[in-house]
Amino acid sequence: MIACHGIGKSYGHFQVLHDVNLAIAEGECFALFGPNGSVKTTLLKILATLERPSTGHFEMLGMHGLKDREAIRANLMFLAHGTHLYDELNARENLAFALALRGHHPTDRDMKRALDRVAIGAFADMKVRHYSAGMKKRLALAKTMLAKPNVLLLDEPFTALDTAGTEILREYVRERLSDNGTVLLSTHDYDKTRPIAGRAGILQHGALQETAIEELKSDDLV
Amino acid sequence: MISFNVIRWIVWKDFVTELRSRETISSMVFFALIVILIFSFSFSMDQQAAREVIAGIMWVAFAFTGIIGLGKSFSTELQNDCLEALQMVPEAKGAIYLGKVAANFAFMFVVEILLFPMFVILFNLEVVEEISLLLLVFFLATVGLSAIGTLFSALTVQIRAREVMLPILLLPLVVPVMIAAVEATKGALNGDPPALYEQWLELLAIYDVVFTVVSFWMFEFVMDS
Repeated sequence: MIACHGIGKSYGHFQVLHDVNLAIAEGECFALFGPNGSVKTTLLKILATLERPSTGHFEMLGMHGLKDREAIRANLMFLAHGTHLYDELNARENLAFALALRGHHPTDRDMKRALDRVAIGAFADMKVRHYSAGMKKRLALAKTMLAKPNVLLLDEPFTALDTAGTEILREYVRERLSDNGTVLLSTHDYDKTRPIAGRAGILQHGALQETAIEELKSDDLV
Repeated sequence: MISFNVIRWIVWKDFVTELRSRETISSMVFFALIVILIFSFSFSMDQQAAREVIAGIMWVAFAFTGIIGLGKSFSTELQNDCLEALQMVPEAKGAIYLGKVAANFAFMFVVEILLFPMFVILFNLEVVEEISLLLLVFFLATVGLSAIGTLFSALTVQIRAREVMLPILLLPLVVPVMIAAVEATKGALNGDPPALYEQWLELLAIYDVVFTVVSFWMFEFVMDS
């Protein structure tokens, strides 16, 4: 689970996040909505241990977000705007490298299965520099699938994905939730998110307002 | 605890990407060739005079060539935000540092070995008997350059003017390496007994150990900041 306690973030004198309190239970998917510049990515980066909060702290899986960073990193995957892929490596090599750094050594069969699942198995030996944005997103998703994280942080996960890719992602999120995983995603796309998210929140002017996703109206998300 | 698995995979990744892109080594070799050619046409000298100045010319070429390679070491990690993935590796970051140092050392050493025959030909040097001592000097000095250079490459990678900042910050710190490398190279080229310049080799070895340990320790803070 994830528990944020009064998280704030400032850049110099400019405070971008104010006192964010949030609890996401195991087996729950929380959707974070908000207009451009509402620092959704900053909040995700704090939880991904890539940035430190200026105030407050968080816990993840019972571990302290600032003191147990390595242990938290071993249990989470962050599907970010950048795909964390090397253009000169092919899909298999990217998977092998990224997972090896996390201490996983998937077999060729595991990698093929993951690549087939995201429907890019036919391009497994092609350099990533020749991939489209959607294919890169699918490969990043395959990497996440092989890592089997307890916590999944997804930053605008539907961007660049077509309808089939969106369904693959949603199916994977459902699978993580059924395994008691915790998912936090930031998005602008209410329709694509509603089938998987149980709760939601709107981040506006650095403050988080929680709500049930059914109660959100499209006007709230403009 | 150092993860040798992480070191091995970082070296593998840097080698494979370099073999396929050839960006780093080709730009290093091209730059160094220009430097060597400019110096060779600027000076007209006999072999004795060449032995006196060639060491300095050689290490100017090697150091600036090395900085090109070091600058690319972490800037390639900005592609697709791969640096974030390295920051999120659930292991002590020192392993990433050692992997990067090993890869940077290999690229710089390969370029030095490729360029050295050019110096021999263009400056008419006779180095057959001194080759093992020269290789020792190259090895020790290149370890020092890559140890401190890798740390500063990581430190400056997120700075907008990193191409300028890396040499400005790095060159003052590698002055001891440069002086020791020039003196030891000059001694070896002159055929002096090693006892006359062994203190420079010792200085290089001490520098290597000290700066590798300090940089290894500091790398964790650089990656997390």
